[in-house]
Amino acid sequence: MDLLSGIINNYYYMVAIILFVIGMYTMLTHANMIKKVIAMNIMDTSVFLLFVAIGYTYGGQPPIIKEGSEAIYVNPLPGALILTGIVVAVSVTAYALSLIVKIYRYYGTCDYDEICEIRSQE
Amino acid sequence: MDDATVVAVLITIVVFPIIMTPVILYSSKISEKLRNILAVATSAVVFLLTLSLYPTIARGGIVQHTLFEILPNLEISLRLDILSFSLAALASFIWFLCTVYSIDYMSKEHATSRYYPVLIFTLGSCQGIFFAGDLFSLFVFFELMSLIAYILVIHEETEEALKAGYKYLVMTIIGGLALFFGIIIIFELGGTVSLGVGSIIQESSVLAFLAFICFLIGFGMKAGMFPLHVWLPDAHPVAPSPASALLSGVMLKTGAYGLLRVIFNVFSPDLLKNSGWDNVLGVLAVITILLGSAVALTQTDIKRRLAYSSISQLGYVLLGLSVLNDNAVTGAVFHIFSHAFMKSTLFLAAGAIIWKTGIRNIADYKGIGRQMPVTMGCFSIAALAMIGIPPLNGFLSKWTLALGCLDAYMPFYVLILMISSLLNALYYLPILIPAFFELPAAKNGHQHNSHHDHDLKINIEEASPGMLSATIILALCTFFFGLTPNNIVFALSRLTSAFLMLGGSL
Amino acid sequence: MGFADHYPALIVVVLFIAAFLSPLLFRWVEKAAAPFLIAALGSALYMTVILLVEVQKSGPVLYHMGGWPPPWGIEFRVDPLRVFMLLIVISVSLWIFIYAVRDLKHELKKEVTGWYYTLYALLVGSMAGIALTNDLFNLFVLMEICAISACAIISIKEERECLEASFKYLILSAMGTGCFLLGVAMLYMATGYLNYSFLQLELAETLTLYPRNIFAAAALFIVAFGTKAALFPLHVWLPDAHASAPSPSSAMLSGLVIKIYAFALFLIFYQVFPRELLDLIPLNEIILWLASLGVMFGSIYAMLQTDLKKMLAYSSIGQIGYIFMGIGFDHNLALIGGFYHIMVHAVTKALLFMTAGIIIYSTGVRQIKDLAGIGRVLPLTMLAFTIGSASMIGIPGTGGLISKWYLSLSALEIGRPFFVLIILASSLLNAIYYMPIVINAFMHQEDFKTETKPVPRFMLGTLVAGMLFIVLAGIFSKPVVTLLEQGVASLF
Repeated sequence: MDLLSGIINNYYYMVAIILFVIGMYTMLTHANMIKKVIAMNIMDTSVFLLFVAIGYTYGGQPPIIKEGSEAIYVNPLPGALILTGIVVAVSVTAYALSLIVKIYRYYGTCDYDEICEIRSQE
Repeated sequence: MDDATVVAVLITIVVFPIIMTPVILYSSKISEKLRNILAVATSAVVFLLTLSLYPTIARGGIVQHTLFEILPNLEISLRLDILSFSLAALASFIWFLCTVYSIDYMSKEHATSRYYPVLIFTLGSCQGIFFAGDLFSLFVFFELMSLIAYILVIHEETEEALKAGYKYLVMTIIGGLALFFGIIIIFELGGTVSLGVGSIIQESSVLAFLAFICFLIGFGMKAGMFPLHVWLPDAHPVAPSPASALLSGVMLKTGAYGLLRVIFNVFSPDLLKNSGWDNVLGVLAVITILLGSAVALTQTDIKRRLAYSSISQLGYVLLGLSVLNDNAVTGAVFHIFSHAFMKSTLFLAAGAIIWKTGIRNIADYKGIGRQMPVTMGCFSIAALAMIGIPPLNGFLSKWTLALGCLDAYMPFYVLILMISSLLNALYYLPILIPAFFELPAAKNGHQHNSHHDHDLKINIEEASPGMLSATIILALCTFFFGLTPNNIVFALSRLTSAFLMLGGSL
Repeated sequence: MGFADHYPALIVVVLFIAAFLSPLLFRWVEKAAAPFLIAALGSALYMTVILLVEVQKSGPVLYHMGGWPPPWGIEFRVDPLRVFMLLIVISVSLWIFIYAVRDLKHELKKEVTGWYYTLYALLVGSMAGIALTNDLFNLFVLMEICAISACAIISIKEERECLEASFKYLILSAMGTGCFLLGVAMLYMATGYLNYSFLQLELAETLTLYPRNIFAAAALFIVAFGTKAALFPLHVWLPDAHASAPSPSSAMLSGLVIKIYAFALFLIFYQVFPRELLDLIPLNEIILWLASLGVMFGSIYAMLQTDLKKMLAYSSIGQIGYIFMGIGFDHNLALIGGFYHIMVHAVTKALLFMTAGIIIYSTGVRQIKDLAGIGRVLPLTMLAFTIGSASMIGIPGTGGLISKWYLSLSALEIGRPFFVLIILASSLLNAIYYMPIVINAFMHQEDFKTETKPVPRFMLGTLVAGMLFIVLAGIFSKPVVTLLEQGVASLF
């Protein structure tokens, strides 16, 4: 019972973890390289989700100080962290996609298993 | 000579040959003669410098000097005591003679510009082994010498030489790793690896026994101890003869030296006797002696037979080390000397025969005594000494060893010594007797009739004077240093043994 | 001037600025691009030395970015071990770069050489940052810069193998980063801090409150850094990546990049996680056993290779195993051995890859069996290869022996002589595949018939410097060991 209530109360953490596992699994097993890149993005996004979810405090206000009010604020730090993280993920994605374009030009396929076949025959 | 001078001389002895190595390498581009002169001069200088240390030894001095600290608690040091001096003098003497011999021998060989620098470098590292003051520097010089000697082993670059060299190299590395393990255990248990602090390991334990076994593997492999002797019969024959003489005559002794240091300066004789580890050494020694002699009987190539004979003779040294009393250790140290002289003479003589006539097969040794009487004469003196015929030095060392074994109530070992002497006779005499008393096969295949051709004139075609003189000097050493027990070498052995049994350090 | 106070940040900043200016310089004044980067690396080296002197005099230096104190701001910390790592990174990069200047002309297309300099400077700057940073998220950003530039210096060559290897490296590296980020999230959830020092103080009590978070974070960190540092069995990207890259990149990757991740793992395990964690899960045992497997398997795979650079790459897997063993023993002597090995292996592996590069540059030969007799035409190069191999095997007189000495000693100190056997057995395996190359190169001297191009003196000069360093590291090891002892003492 405890476990179930724990899961239901923290469902956003569970979603993040499930997305993370889906992303990692896809990245490692699916052959199509573009799928791998998409999966990498899913993996990184799930962690950002987790970060944002951590930062939330119940009944919190957006973290902008108004004169004289003593409200509880949502933690702004995770937001800053994930902005950095998103930038990093975007640059890695850009680099990966450009690599895929080059690989397609050289190997003629986007399928990683086929590329391994071609490599092993060389 | 005060201590500081002694240390300076020691450092020179080790470093001078190493510095001369590139000099000799480059001098061969100028002229061969210059290179040969430089090589002989370097070995002569090393020998003379080593001899100059005798006065310090004669008055019983021990010099232990720390050079620098390579790692925390681990210091590189030099050491001069009677054992180091004896072996270093022996090594440099034989090296000098072999270098002189090489000048003529190598004139028929290729790649001599590689041979001489390597020879001199190995001399330097060999002296480094003997003058090392702690196990770590001993290990460094030991590895250095073994690895550079590989180049001497594969000198001929034939298929056979490369295979033998590969076996040698792999076993050297295994031995080196075993030594490393042993030294690390000693450092862990005792906190120091210096040879100047008396017995480092005081009590026996599983780790200490493991260290002892590792040292047996490491040093025993070099000394040709069963079961790690497998590299020896392949490596010694394929090297050029002066290098074989050095490998058999001197480099095997570095393994025995290592074992001496381990037994006396790291563990102590009492520890070995109390914990029964000397039995391990004893069993291995007996097997080595019998195995070496037995297999030597079956060899037809002269150098292979001499190599197996080396294995068996080093077994005597190990036997003396396993008995561990005054006479036995004296016998062991004296046998190091005598075997060095004997085996070097044998290899140099065999080399002269190969150089002059190309004969390596023992069956073809018929009548060669008439063609090359001086060379065969030296060979015979050394062979008779090996068998143990008085008044030669082989007899003296076997006698002393036998006395030591009887002192320790082990007549079984004396029996082994006698069996081995018999086996020695069985494989040396068939070389000697046909050489002098039979006639060589005639050139057109027609066998001479010994009745009619008693007065057949066979031309004396001796080896060149350089090679001959080296061989004769060594044969004379074999003769004179065994004639009576009152010779300097035996006295040195007695003193060394006494020194070691009393503590071996401080 | 207040510059000296800002040296920790300046090292990284100077390198990043040099990274961005290089392509411009390359376009306008081509000849000045390489000297400019050498000057940048040289100034970074100078600043590192100043930091070294200061740390030895007055202890760890803490630098707050922008003056914001932690836990709000990002902190750079300079203590003996970090400055040691920094010194290795900057000096070895400078040394490899001097070699690269000549070699790149032959390996890359002309237009992209300026971009290579950018990537190189970014790589060095990010590695310097990883060595210095005291903040987990800063570590994430720098790790990503390092990952992208490391993949890019492989793919910049634009051959088929390079691109595929680079992609494989990028994907696995991204997986590692994802795991790392999740681990950071776990720690942040439990403590609310990202700064190492603050985390260390908090985690001791948080361990009792939220143990599962900490376990998950520890496991994720091992996977993340293990993938990036080629810990067995996460090493699968390494052989292709390091073998197909241009030689200076191979030297850089094998020599420095995998080490910096091992160092980051060390920092996190010793300076962030509490010691009580080891009582609950034996993390160091896991690392130790994986490292031992890596040491043996790396050598075994290397024996089977026919391509010279692939063999060196597999050998790297074995050698990084030693470093992880040093981390895994959990003993101060083992850490000294592991770090000493980082230094020695960085120089040795870079030297070996540079030698391979010179062989390929001069003769185009890549297969080991074609190397017979090459010692006649490239004697200095093969001498460098010999000394590098001697250091890998652990022959006394070279630096490799010192690190093996410390690792074996610590194995005995914690009462596990089995690992000494593993270290010795792997030395023997190393000898079995390195020695035949050396022997073959110098024997059979008539057999080598391929045409050779003459080798520029700069490249040979770098080899000589490397050889001297290896031999000196084997003899005069005391100063470095003293520095390491100082650094390690604070951890136990």
